[in-house]
Amino acid sequence: MRTKQEYLIRYEDGNLYCELADIWIDPNKPVKKALITHAHFDHFTFGCEEYISTKETAILLKERVRDNIKIKTFEYGEEFKINGINISFHPSGHILGSSQIRFIFAEEKWLISGDFKLQKDQTCKQYEIVKTDYLISECTFGLPIFKWDESNKIANDISKWITNSPEKTSLLFCYSLGKAQRLLNEISQTSFKGNIYSHGSIHKMNNSYRELGIDIKDTIKIENKKKIDELKGSLILLPPSLSKGSYLKNFKNIQTAFASGWMSIRALRKRSGYDKGFAISDHADWDGILEVVKKSEAKNVFFHHGDSEALSKYLVEKESINVLSFGK
Amino acid sequence: MSLKKFSELFGDLDSINSTNNKIEVLRNYFLSNDPIDNSWAIYLLTGKSNKRFISGRYLKNLFSQIYEYPQWLIDTCYLKVGDSAEVITLLLKNKTNSRKKKLSNISLNELLSETIPALSKLNEEEKNLEIKNLWETLPEDNHLIFNKILTGTFRVGVSIGLITKSISKLINIEEEIISHRLMGDFKPSIESYEFLINKNINLQELNSKPFPFLLANTIEDKIFKNSINDFQFEWKYDGIRMQLIKRSGNISLWTRGQELVNESFPELAEKMFHIKDNFVLDGELLVWNFKEQIPFDFSLLQKRINRKSPTRSIQIKYPIIFIAYDLLEINGRDIREIKLENRRIKLEKYFSKWQIKTENNISDIFKICDLIFPKDWPDALTYKEKSRENNTEGLIIKKKSSIYSSGRKKGIWWKYKVDPMQLDAVLIYAKGGSGRRAGLYTDYSFALWKDKELIKFASAYSGLTNIEIKELDKWIRKNTIEKFGPVRSLKPEMVFEISFEKIQISKRHKSGIAVRFPRITKWRKDKKINDADSLENAYELMKKIS
Repeated sequence: MRTKQEYLIRYEDGNLYCELADIWIDPNKPVKKALITHAHFDHFTFGCEEYISTKETAILLKERVRDNIKIKTFEYGEEFKINGINISFHPSGHILGSSQIRFIFAEEKWLISGDFKLQKDQTCKQYEIVKTDYLISECTFGLPIFKWDESNKIANDISKWITNSPEKTSLLFCYSLGKAQRLLNEISQTSFKGNIYSHGSIHKMNNSYRELGIDIKDTIKIENKKKIDELKGSLILLPPSLSKGSYLKNFKNIQTAFASGWMSIRALRKRSGYDKGFAISDHADWDGILEVVKKSEAKNVFFHHGDSEALSKYLVEKESINVLSFGK
Repeated sequence: MSLKKFSELFGDLDSINSTNNKIEVLRNYFLSNDPIDNSWAIYLLTGKSNKRFISGRYLKNLFSQIYEYPQWLIDTCYLKVGDSAEVITLLLKNKTNSRKKKLSNISLNELLSETIPALSKLNEEEKNLEIKNLWETLPEDNHLIFNKILTGTFRVGVSIGLITKSISKLINIEEEIISHRLMGDFKPSIESYEFLINKNINLQELNSKPFPFLLANTIEDKIFKNSINDFQFEWKYDGIRMQLIKRSGNISLWTRGQELVNESFPELAEKMFHIKDNFVLDGELLVWNFKEQIPFDFSLLQKRINRKSPTRSIQIKYPIIFIAYDLLEINGRDIREIKLENRRIKLEKYFSKWQIKTENNISDIFKICDLIFPKDWPDALTYKEKSRENNTEGLIIKKKSSIYSSGRKKGIWWKYKVDPMQLDAVLIYAKGGSGRRAGLYTDYSFALWKDKELIKFASAYSGLTNIEIKELDKWIRKNTIEKFGPVRSLKPEMVFEISFEKIQISKRHKSGIAVRFPRITKWRKDKKINDADSLENAYELMKKIS
C-alpha cells in the first residue's frame, strides 16, 4: 500500500488536493487554483486566484456572488492538462452544471464524484458512469435506510398537501439552487394549478436556469406586503434560512414543509420544527452509492462528506471492495 | 375500509400541530369509516393497550435473517432512526420495491382481530414466514403501522382528551359524557363504538366505569394572594391514585391509568364488600407502615402492583391501605357538582357511619385523608418542608369551593412539592437517544468525586432544552475518549446540577447510593469539574434527610 503522500489526490487541511498539479478541489480556504464541482456555497470560497469549472457552474456562481471572480470553463468531457495530468468534468446529476472530476496520470485514473445523484432530474444532465481505478465518493446518505421515492410521487404528495388545505398558504422550504428548480419542474407536472411564488434568491436562480436553456415554470417573486387573501391556497418556495426568525410573520394561516432527504426519518422530521417533511434529495441514496461504486469498476474507494463507517464495512465484507481512508 | 386509511390518519396526525386540525382530521376519519375500524382506531390512538406481539430485537433479527442483512448494519441504522419498527420499515423499502406478489387490501379490523392474533398461535418458523408474507403483500404505506403494532410501539401525538373532543364534536354531546364513556376497559367492537357515539345518555350504562380523574397543577405564585381559608390542605402521597367504586354491590378498583386492579388487591375489595352503601371514592393506594402511621416507600408498593392474586404472606408483608380524598357518588347520586367543602363533610359523615356500622373492622385497610390546617402561607411552607418526615412528597392544595371537574383543570387543585435534592456532577458518558431524540446523544451519565476518581452515580436524560441538547451533542462528538457501541466515554469537563427526589443506600451501584427521578436542572457552565460534589456530600445529604 502506498503512503498518503504517494496518492495522486489526498486530504490536506480537510480539503482534496492534487499536489502534482498544485490544484485543490472545492477548497474551503483561498488557494491558487481551485476546481469547483458545482455552485453550492459549501463548495466555494472567495479569494482563490483562479477557479476552474463547467460553463454552467461558472454562470451560476457569478450570478450568485456578483463578484468579479476569474473562472476558466470547460465543457463536460473536454480534457485539459495541468502539469501533465489530464483532467475532465463529467455530469454528476446533482444540480445544473454539477460535475465529477476525473484525473488521469501515468495511466492511473482517479475520479472525484462530487455531490451526485442517479435519480432522474429534468433540470440537469443525468449522471454519467465513468470508469476509474480510484474513486473518491461522497456518502451523505450512506445507510440503507435511505431509499428515495420517485420524484413525481413526492411532487404529487406536495400537490396533495397544498390542495388539502385550500384555506392556508403553503410554505415549502428548499435550497434555492437546484432543489427549488427541480421541485418547480416536478410540481408543474402535477394536478396543482394554483399560484406559485418564490423568494428572490430562488427567483434569481430560476432565471439563470432559463437562460441556460432549462425549462422552469414561471413563478411570482414574493413581495413582503402581499395581501393575505391572495396567498390562500398557493405555494411559496423559500430558502431554509428564512424558516426561523421573524420572516414568517409576513404570513398568516400557514403550513410549512421542508424538502430534504433527511425528512425520511420520523425523528428528524419531528425535530425539524416544520409541519411536514418531503424526502427528496439531490444526493444519491444507499443503492445509488453502491451502484456508482460498482459501475465505476474502482479497485479502491475513499469516502468523504458523511459518516462512512457502515458503508465502508459493508463494501469490504459484502462486495470485497477495497475501501481506503485518507487518515485525515 | 382499508388499512391504508388508518395509515393516512396516522401520517396526518403525526404531521399536524394544530389541535383543531387534528380534531377535524379525526372527525373526518370517524365519519368515513366502519364502526368496527373506528373502534380499533380509538383503541390504538388512546393507547388503551400496547400489547407487544414480538420485540423490536426480534423484528430486527427476523429481517436480518430473511434478507441476509448484517445485524451490525441494522444496529447502525437504528442509532440514526431510534425506533425498531421504523428502521425495518425503511429497510423494507429497499427490499420489497420490486416485488411481484399481489398486494392485499386488509382492514384495520382484520389486521388487529385476525391477522395479528393468529400470529401468536403459530410456531416460530410459521410465524416468521407469515410476517415475511405480510411484509411482501401489505402495501408499502402500511408497513410502519404494521411493524409498530407488532412491536407494541404504536404511539402518536394524540391525547385521550383530543379523541374525546372529536367524538364530542361528532355527535354533539358534552365532552364529560364522552370522557366518562371512554374510561376504563375499552374492548374494540361495533358495540363499544356505538355506545361511544350514542346520542342518548343512559347513566346506567356507565355503571362500572370510573369518573374522569381531576388532576392537580403545579403551584403558581398567584395562589399566595388568596386567603388561606379558601383552601383545603392534604399531604401529597406517592402511591397509586385510584377510584374505589361500589355500585349495585359490585366493587371495582380503577387506577388513574385506567386499569382495573381488583385482582392485585383482593383484601381491599373483600373489606369494602361489607359496607352497605354504594359509592365512588377518589383516593390513593399505599403500602402502609401501621406502626408509625406513614406510608412505606413506593418501591414496596411496586412489589404489589403487578402481582395478581397475591398470597396471604405477601398481603401481610406489604400491607396496603386506601386513603380516600373525596366522595364523588353516593348511593347512585353523582355529587361531583357540589362544593368540595360539602363533599368533605359528606365523606367524613359516611366514613364514621361505616366505621361504626360495618361488622368487620374496615380501618385496617381504609381511612380518609387527614387534613392539615396551616395558619397562613408561611405556615403552609413549614408543613411542606416537613413532608419528608412522614414520607410524603409535599402538599395538595384544593379550592374549597371547587366542583370535581375532569383533567388538569387550572385554578382548582395544586401540588406543592418539596424542593428536590441537588448535587453538581460531572458528565462522563453519553448514549444515543431513541424516538424523537434519535441520532443525538441525549442519555447522559453523571459522576461524583471519590478522592481523585469520578464515580458514576446517576443517569438522566431530561431537563435540557432542545438548543442545549444540540449544543451538548456537538461537544460530545468532539470530546469522545472511547466508543463502546452506542455509548461514548467523555472528557470530564462539563458540570451539571442534578436534582432528584430521594437518595438511599444501594449495594447494586458502585457509588453505593441510588437516587430517584434524577434530572438535569442546570448546565453549570460556570463550574469547573473540581467544583463538582463528592460522594461524601451525597452521604451527608442522605444523613440530613433521614
